[in-house]
Amino acid sequence: MNYVNPKCKDVMQHICESLGEDLNSDKCIAIKNHLDNCSDCKNYFESIKITIQLYKNYKVDLPDEAHNKLMNLLNLNDCE
Amino acid sequence: MEEKQLIELAKSGDKKALATLVKNHEQTVYNFSFKICRDREKAENIMQETFLSMIKHLNQFDGNSRLSTWLYRIVSNHCLMQARKDKNKFFVSINDDENEESDLYNDKYVADWSRIPNNVTENNELKNILDNAISKLSPEYRIVFLLRDVEGLSTEETALATDLSIPAVKSRLHRARAFLRKEINKAFAK
Repeated sequence: MNYVNPKCKDVMQHICESLGEDLNSDKCIAIKNHLDNCSDCKNYFESIKITIQLYKNYKVDLPDEAHNKLMNLLNLNDCE
Repeated sequence: MEEKQLIELAKSGDKKALATLVKNHEQTVYNFSFKICRDREKAENIMQETFLSMIKHLNQFDGNSRLSTWLYRIVSNHCLMQARKDKNKFFVSINDDENEESDLYNDKYVADWSRIPNNVTENNELKNILDNAISKLSPEYRIVFLLRDVEGLSTEETALATDLSIPAVKSRLHRARAFLRKEINKAFAK
């Protein structure tokens, strides 16, 4: 990859690889510069962040019955 | 009481301390196993197996990592064992192939991401889209994506929990992210 002038595909791959990582390497600085000037890549970056957030927001609660069964199984029901 | 103290007490046979540890982590373990196997009954069984393993091996826990990281390792193993039992399921291939790789970044149609709702809990249509997308990923990719991105483990902790190298975690993670994004884009571009 050309660090001075990366292509969109390189940028997209890099976004996917390194979101949440340390972004201070030469490669990352080139990516940031590209992102500032390329709306396609900026949108891609945002959509990856939204994807992660959607899965973060998707939570299921432990049913009370499952909790009780677990405590019984582990013989810990007298510690409630 | 701090977790380290609770662990020491539980190791010495204190049932109350052990019950507290279980209660502190049961929601996380259940939630994680549900997200991997997408089935409430299986998630419950995996949660039970995970805590049975935790109790059996608690004396081997050295305290160098967080208890949650160790539990993620146990629950991930149980999820993979469950997935091997369901081996007739078909998952999409997102291997290290140049054409498949390139396809991950090309969109035929582009969705308006600013209009995608974020209230997942109350939106069944959105839940179905997210379920459908992640169900196509093999559990090996799902686990890495969920540990790193959803549960917030570091790359190093994810590698430790999955017995993968750091480059392997990064490789699986970037493909999983790109794949899920592409599936959601496709669903909302319709």
